[in-house]
Amino acid sequence: MTGKTSTGMRKLRIVLWALVVIAAGGAGFLAYGPKPTGVSEVEAIYAKPFQLVDQNGAAVTEASFLGKPSAWFYGFTHCPDVCPTALAEMSALLEELGPDADKLNVVFVSVDPERDTPEIMKEYVEYFDDRITGLTGDLAQISTMAKDRYIFFEKEPMEGGDYLMGHQASIQLVTADGRFFGTLATEEGFDTRMAKLRRLIGQG
Amino acid sequence: MQKLILALAIAVLTAPAQAHDFTSGSIFIEHPMIQEAPPNAPVLGGYVTIYNNGDVPERLLGIESKAAEKVELHQSVVTDGIARMEPLAEGMEIPAGATVSLGDDGTHAMFIKPDRRYQAGDEVAATLIFENAGPVEVVFNVEERSAKAAPNHEGHGK
Ligand SMILES: [Cu+2]
Repeated sequence: MTGKTSTGMRKLRIVLWALVVIAAGGAGFLAYGPKPTGVSEVEAIYAKPFQLVDQNGAAVTEASFLGKPSAWFYGFTHCPDVCPTALAEMSALLEELGPDADKLNVVFVSVDPERDTPEIMKEYVEYFDDRITGLTGDLAQISTMAKDRYIFFEKEPMEGGDYLMGHQASIQLVTADGRFFGTLATEEGFDTRMAKLRRLIGQG
Repeated sequence: MQKLILALAIAVLTAPAQAHDFTSGSIFIEHPMIQEAPPNAPVLGGYVTIYNNGDVPERLLGIESKAAEKVELHQSVVTDGIARMEPLAEGMEIPAGATVSLGDDGTHAMFIKPDRRYQAGDEVAATLIFENAGPVEVVFNVEERSAKAAPNHEGHGK
């Protein structure tokens, strides 16, 4: 491939990406800050309506995850370290919770629904722990959900036409009635995260 | 249970008991390894420690492997709560006399679209491309992800 062709290709790619961005219409490209700024602990942001599909292909809504406290993470399967580590660590936390793990809904939402089909989510999530629900679906639905919950994600084009996702790193803890409770982050250490989960479960 | 994190870090950064290393000139390559991922994982994370025994800086420019569509050097960073991956555009520098790991600070080799499922115990042949030392053939050992183990069973490190 000559330099000229590759420059041409790059331009074409940039144009294509611009089109993708326009097509997404701000949907997936949210500009919220870190550690969900704007999150109110009073408003039941996790009770706002959505319709997505779980890893078994079943339709789920906000109601499917209310009534029990929950832990939510947002990631994608084309992720070699941050997401698998979070899933593996969550599995370890559930293990440590023992029977109390049943008192918690744990949900992994794909922010890359264009690539992460329910079948892919099933194999991926269940490799770590079949107590974790994997959600995917329509990009617009996921974008709305993210916006409602002050969760950031965005597509980041790579050279060669592929892309990666930037996404909220921390796990979001949510009360049984859908209010933000707190976050879990890897760097906090196992005991701290465990204590937070127990506190969440304890207050129902 | 800070130990879990420590065990994770150690698992990524250090070699297990059996020796697994490669040498080329003044470059010493220790324990290239890939963490096992779900069966359908479209990407695999690879890690390796490199010691530059020479007196000029060396640079890891890239990695090639027939086992994946391509291999890229990346760094995962969390900035303001947002996790992102960035290419290591300049590769990874190993100053003279220094030891540097892919695995430090979120750096990794990303094996994109592996040609099949790789499980713990499998081996992945690859070539590390260095600025001065040129290509060096190595084998990445596929290993279990240690956080999968229950927190009480951290067998690695410690
Ligand atoms: Cu990467």
